[in-house]
Amino acid sequence: MVSRQVTIINKQGLHARPATAMVNTAAKFKSEIFICRDEKKVNGKSILGLLVLAAECGAVLTIEAQGSDENEAVEALVNLVNDHFGMGESS
Amino acid sequence: MAKHEEINSISGLNASKGIVIGTAYVRKLNQETIVTRTLISTDKIAEEMTKLRKAQEMVAEELELVREKIEKNLGPAYSDIISAQLAILTDQEVFREVQAYIEEHHVNVAFAYRVVVNQYVELLEDHDSEYFKERVSDIRDIKQRVLLALISKQTILSTFTIDKPTIFVSRDLNPSDIMMLVSENVVGFVTEFGGKTSHVAILARAMKVPMITGAKEALQYIESGQTCILDADHGKIFIQPSQELLDEYAREIKKMDKREEGFLAAHDKAAITKDGYTFKLGANISLPFEVDDVKKYGAGGIGLYRTEYLYLMKQNLPNEEELFNEYRQVTESMQEKEVVIRTIDLGGDKMSALWDQDIRFESNPFMGYRAIRICLDQPSVFITQLRAILRSSAFGKVSILLPMITHIEQLTESMTYIEEVKRTLDTEKIPYDKSIKIGMMIETPSAVMNIETFVDLVDFISIGTNDLTQYALAVDRGNERVTNVYNHYDPAIIKMILKVVNAAHKAEIPAYVCGEMASEYRALILFIAMKVDGLSVAPGYIGAVRNHINMCEQKHAEEHLKKILQMKTRKEIIDYLDNLRDCS
Repeated sequence: MVSRQVTIINKQGLHARPATAMVNTAAKFKSEIFICRDEKKVNGKSILGLLVLAAECGAVLTIEAQGSDENEAVEALVNLVNDHFGMGESS
Repeated sequence: MAKHEEINSISGLNASKGIVIGTAYVRKLNQETIVTRTLISTDKIAEEMTKLRKAQEMVAEELELVREKIEKNLGPAYSDIISAQLAILTDQEVFREVQAYIEEHHVNVAFAYRVVVNQYVELLEDHDSEYFKERVSDIRDIKQRVLLALISKQTILSTFTIDKPTIFVSRDLNPSDIMMLVSENVVGFVTEFGGKTSHVAILARAMKVPMITGAKEALQYIESGQTCILDADHGKIFIQPSQELLDEYAREIKKMDKREEGFLAAHDKAAITKDGYTFKLGANISLPFEVDDVKKYGAGGIGLYRTEYLYLMKQNLPNEEELFNEYRQVTESMQEKEVVIRTIDLGGDKMSALWDQDIRFESNPFMGYRAIRICLDQPSVFITQLRAILRSSAFGKVSILLPMITHIEQLTESMTYIEEVKRTLDTEKIPYDKSIKIGMMIETPSAVMNIETFVDLVDFISIGTNDLTQYALAVDRGNERVTNVYNHYDPAIIKMILKVVNAAHKAEIPAYVCGEMASEYRALILFIAMKVDGLSVAPGYIGAVRNHINMCEQKHAEEHLKKILQMKTRKEIIDYLDNLRDCS
């Protein structure tokens, strides 16, 4: 299993649009993916799960993956978060 | 026709003008699909799960259809909401949990699905954040659609096969409802909630579908199948009206259609008075597709392009490309005609879900975080929009209009940002119009009092009469208890407008008017007298305003203005203007 921490840096947090982007990215990988915040742990391929985390700007998440492409999956998701979910936010 | 105060009518606010006759379709409050619980045997579990897959496919098809309509009419940047709904629909965790629930409890799939989704709804409702609470309505919407498909093998649209003009009555509406329904023979909207300035109202106006909002008892009194007259101009819906009233309205609609035909036929005429004074007559738009109407009615350009809509519709700040594509579409299709793009006027009554909760619920929003104040506080937001506007200027004739400027420093600071963006574009070798004109809105008393200083710094000014009236008379135009205080024909407002126009002319820059007042017949004579250089009105008013200008004489107007300036009360002024016929 691979696991890494990330901080949500886009201003509006893990809202519907970023959550959709995250689910779509996670779905590309065969590995099982979990996103954890504090005691909550949800399926990284589920938008409802991600919304339940209510991760606002500054929230620290742990991304876990288990499977044949676990390294690539975690890498891709961490990049997505750090890239403001590809939404071109400049600051 | 306001004289018909029948008992069988409901009042609301005019959110999008027009009159239509149609059959009511009422979407009832919390119309939950009835889900019964039945026991199933283990060997049927796979079958139940197949039913869920099929239901999801049906709903997905319908959502794709709505997405197509949105993208065709509004542009791809507006369909985010559908992507989020599709992600909710196809959530694999929900699917897995439904299967687990059925395996454990041996119940039918509809029951299991409802239990699972309701658990998520409850979790999200507990959140402090308003944003996450709002997503609950998306999830409920999907739940309803899936249950409907599971139980009656129907989708929202298939239950809604209508072959006659329909007036859609509901508690509230979201933009995708409007996009989906307008092409389905829906000719009017009535909602119990929502204001005149909500983004749904903007959309209804842009699509020219009559709508009233705030019609409080609509769901209680109106039933599906009843014939109704929706008179949005007077904020009324008549339920099962008498034949006499129907005939009267049918005649009125015919008359309006005829007038409309005349306006369309005159689309290439100039907005010129009998004695040869020409106005620049522009259109106010909020959405790119309104350009079609602007051309149809023959406006001389776009006098006010409101850019808030994309910010209101999106779940996130629009990026530079999304903004640029939209502005470019408008400027290109207007060809050599001027397009005045106003930088975001968010805040006040147009709050975006983008800002934090404490900003969205200010106690005094019109005096709070809005328009240029947001831009100067969040330069990255401002710079992104300025880059998009400047880039679009390479494809047509674009001007920049800055809203809500109250003091000089705001103007000079904004100009500095514009210069900075120009320099960056130069180094990036991105083309833009180097002589782009920059103007400011005049909508606060301080801008009026300091107008002589402001006019030396800008290329044009545009008077926003709605806000100017609101700020000068210190009256909230949305507050019903004080609507009698709000009035453009107050002597103070007329004197302010005159002062501004005179100062602009002394500095040899044009003065435009773009508020609601610009489309009122009785005000036109004042603007003609003051030699205002241009008016900008909603596309649907272009024909009427031009027609009225064509009947006026500038030199008579000046005499009338002299008399009006001597008057002490609003009543005197309004009575005088109402008694004038055709400004002659």
